[in-house]
Amino acid sequence: MLDNLGEDKSIYIQISEMIEDEILRDILKEEDRVPSTTELAKFYKINPATAAKGINLLVDKDIIYKKRGIGMFVQKGAKETIRKARRDSFYNSYVKSIISEAKLIGISKEDLKKMIDKDNV
Amino acid sequence: MATLSGKNIVKKYGKDTVLKNVDIDIETGKIYGLIGRNGAGKTTLLSILTAQNPATEGTVTLDGQPVWENEEALSHICYSREIPQLTLFGPNTLKVKQYLNIAKAFYKNWDQEYADELTKLFNINIKKRINKLSKGMLSAVTIIVAMASKADITILDEPVAGLDVVAREQFYKLVIDEYAATGRTFIISTHIIEEAANLFEKVIMIDDGQLVLEENTEHLLSRAYRVSGEAEAVNSAVDGFKVYNPESLGNHKAVTVLSNEPGAKFGENVQVEPVQLQNLFYAMCVDGRKEA
Repeated sequence: MLDNLGEDKSIYIQISEMIEDEILRDILKEEDRVPSTTELAKFYKINPATAAKGINLLVDKDIIYKKRGIGMFVQKGAKETIRKARRDSFYNSYVKSIISEAKLIGISKEDLKKMIDKDNV
Repeated sequence: MATLSGKNIVKKYGKDTVLKNVDIDIETGKIYGLIGRNGAGKTTLLSILTAQNPATEGTVTLDGQPVWENEEALSHICYSREIPQLTLFGPNTLKVKQYLNIAKAFYKNWDQEYADELTKLFNINIKKRINKLSKGMLSAVTIIVAMASKADITILDEPVAGLDVVAREQFYKLVIDEYAATGRTFIISTHIIEEAANLFEKVIMIDDGQLVLEENTEHLLSRAYRVSGEAEAVNSAVDGFKVYNPESLGNHKAVTVLSNEPGAKFGENVQVEPVQLQNLFYAMCVDGRKEA
């Protein structure tokens, strides 16, 4: 997990994205227990209500679920759920900014395409 | 839900008005941050809310009951303030242990085991006299009193002043632990805003004796922006918004904007960045505030 919270997003969104990243990287697997709001609050020095908000965001997206009295756990199929959602927002979150930077410094569309081809994704 | 409520509080010292018609509601079960410049009136406000200092005008109530000389109401409140090292009768030669015993007698929910644990955590020698403590150790003792009081509403006035970075981190974690376990209300005033900002569910800002805002921290920051770019473009982008702390560098201009609602749009010609609480505070309190 990241050691420090950045500054350009609401803290609760950062918390939820960090947990999503851990799931994408298999650090948290299906049915693994997710850190509790208190654990997250202490680790990041944030208000427990903020941590809870981040956790609830993941519950709403059906990425984690609550086992009464035990804690939060990674939902079956969570990784695919996250991958799909992130694919849907990929253009807006990444491609757009690459294109705008390319325009600013005079890289043509063709050159941009060549760079991507070179990288053999 | 209990509420500690100040209505129309005015405090005058002679000709000086240090608090001007402050209305404030402290809801229980939250961590509040109180921020303001030196001399803004933070300590005066806290001492009035806790009935250690009478207001010139206005009332303070807990659940509708006035707190002044109200033992029952005050038993729910702990205001752990800076310990004086000098008294009217000379140096404060009380030993830490004696000081903690006084606190123990005073707070009905005092947790001695917890106090002992914290004394160890902060490495305080309880045989030491108050006037021989360093600034950091004094702060640690006020933290110990505040935490061990187990009061429903616990107020800490600049608890981290003079504490080293390790002790400060320990303090933040203590508050989170205790809050998660008990749901006690904390009001914490501090000048080290950056470190503690994410701890505060709500923030209270006072400036020059007036309440500037009292708001959910996240909501406040979601409507704050730093807008920068070519001066003309910035001027037209922020037209109609409330603007603070304009700064120029050649033809480049940057301003801090507080919009009424989150999701403000400034167009494609300027750069828009989020603002941290400390920077927002600076922008709002720095001299020469201007309306766009």
